[in-house]
Amino acid sequence: MPPVTDPIRVVIVDDHSIFRSGLRADLDDTIDVVGEAADVASAVTVIAQAQPDVVLLDVHLPGSDGDITGGEAVLRAALPVATTTRFLALSVSDAAEDVVRVIRAGARGYITKGASGDEVARAVHAVAGGDAVFSPRLAGFVLDAFGAVAGETAIATDELDRLSAREQEVMRLIARGYSYKEVATELFISVKTVETHVSAVLRKLQLSSRHELTAWASARRLL
Amino acid sequence: MAITAAQASVLAARPPLRRPRSSLVTGVAAGLATHLAWPVTLVRALFVVLSLFWGAGILLYLWFWALMPVRAVEDGKTGDDLGTPPSAALDPADLGTPPSAALDPADLDKPPSAALDPAAAPTHRAPVAWILTTVAVVSLVATWVMVVASANNGVTWASPVPGWVSGVVVTTALAVAAALWATLIDRRDPARGPRHETAVRVTLTVVLGILFGLVLSTSQQGGAFAFFVALAPLLGIAAVYSSSLIEKWRELSRERVRRIREEQRSEMAAHLHDSVLQTLALIQTRAGASSEVARIARAQERELRSWLYDGDEPADSDLPTDLRDYAAALELDFPVHMDVVAAGTSTERASGELAAAAREAMLNAARHAGGDVSVYIEGAASRVDVFVRDRGPGFALEAVPPDRLGVRESIVARMRRAGGAATVRPGAGGVGTEVHLAFGADAHLAASIARTDAARD
Repeated sequence: MPPVTDPIRVVIVDDHSIFRSGLRADLDDTIDVVGEAADVASAVTVIAQAQPDVVLLDVHLPGSDGDITGGEAVLRAALPVATTTRFLALSVSDAAEDVVRVIRAGARGYITKGASGDEVARAVHAVAGGDAVFSPRLAGFVLDAFGAVAGETAIATDELDRLSAREQEVMRLIARGYSYKEVATELFISVKTVETHVSAVLRKLQLSSRHELTAWASARRLL
Repeated sequence: MAITAAQASVLAARPPLRRPRSSLVTGVAAGLATHLAWPVTLVRALFVVLSLFWGAGILLYLWFWALMPVRAVEDGKTGDDLGTPPSAALDPADLGTPPSAALDPADLDKPPSAALDPAAAPTHRAPVAWILTTVAVVSLVATWVMVVASANNGVTWASPVPGWVSGVVVTTALAVAAALWATLIDRRDPARGPRHETAVRVTLTVVLGILFGLVLSTSQQGGAFAFFVALAPLLGIAAVYSSSLIEKWRELSRERVRRIREEQRSEMAAHLHDSVLQTLALIQTRAGASSEVARIARAQERELRSWLYDGDEPADSDLPTDLRDYAAALELDFPVHMDVVAAGTSTERASGELAAAAREAMLNAARHAGGDVSVYIEGAASRVDVFVRDRGPGFALEAVPPDRLGVRESIVARMRRAGGAATVRPGAGGVGTEVHLAFGADAHLAASIARTDAARD
């Protein structure tokens, strides 16, 4: 973990007060919780006011209208008013549909609510540092959705709908449970390069118009 | 009520009042006979005799038919049970079936399950629809004879109601009854079915058509009354075809009930999602990943989740599902957290050698390493890869004594025999162990995987 001079300023958005207080108690003093919110409207207000470094955002929140989840609603409303803030999605489940929806709406990564305080803190630091946070499940989904399993490989570097060979390797190792550092060792590259690849994949995930991604994203499911 | 033990045992020993699933007409007589331990012929004779008293037997029969539930399905016992000794009907499964189960509203409109499962539908040996049709034809002929006779007498519409009008009514009623039977009862019967239903309907249409023509030919002198009589066969034809509307309507209401249940379920799912699942997640966080409490909470969460979302869909037994279930079971037995990730669609069956080897590798990881274990399954068109990675103390295959067969025999040798490949190597950075299982369509694959893995080490 890089030495942090100032604590990272964080806003927790979750409709369960028990979960919020539990999470706050779990985070160490490198992280400063500057605000909390329980629904979409108050979340947008708090984020606009506090301008935090990172928002821990529950995927399912009350107060959204229409077909989007509460997490998406917050992202859409808060991204324009808090341009430097980065969002880390918290999901009670590991369901690709939900996760892909919030990531496509602008979140920089996601963790499950079962993650320990250490894991959350690490993910917050990673997101604050501009990196993407990928879980093995999300990596598996990405490989699947971009056709990597079927052998599709990007040839041009600016291709959005397919992964490059290196990105596939990185994603495969993450899916196998490797940390970024372990991926770096395995592939004889630096951790920074791994992070670059992951960020590139995140960008593709956000911008690609591949049918599988949109199909997943539009299939509204609760899980 | 003073019931002695002996009386009570007699009462208890009596088989339940149920209609057999395979019956002559409706199974009422057979069911009564089994219940009372009387010969079935006697019961039938009794009904016939009672019918002579202002139709009491018929009413009683209909009453029994409406209220007596059909015997619950038992495998191998769908046949006629009349000949079986009472003890067979007394088996605990039979007695244990609460009457409420048979009277369950969902059970009364049986078709959803009965239509899907031919063995579950009650069968009727007597061709009741055809018997009714035949009687309708006979009645038609009789009516015709009466019409001709009265025409010869020149008194077609003379008296207030000529005798043959009742013939018209009876014929129409019989035809409608036959059609209803064919649609509502025979349709589900595996021995009959839609073709039988169509045949009955066509015959009945012809019968009613002739009847209509007959009435029409005499109606010139009849006036308004004759017009209404002529309507009867037409209404009959309408009724014959509307019987399938009844079936449609039933289907619609079943569909509606199903939808309401589904809505209730998803409402409950939303509620539980917001409360219980969140709490379980919190418990896992606070209790530490591999503690007893966290494991129980995780297992509970998984169970609840699968109950909430998988619903009634049958679980398919593909490789990822199977390994996920196995991981859940291991988490209960060992202090381990297994993360199973699957990519691609695998055609590999859960029963295959690959699955067996993967389970063995997971068991090893759970038993010897514990902590976090990652399982990754990638299924491409021509090959399937499974990685099992733990962060335990690790071991080298060479260091394992030859008498320990676990890894060598059940993973490596098993995969080789099945035409795949397995490699066991230290995990990244020398932490833990990673087992890689590969199974492919082409024979050269195993060698190439072994080479790739060796090159990495």
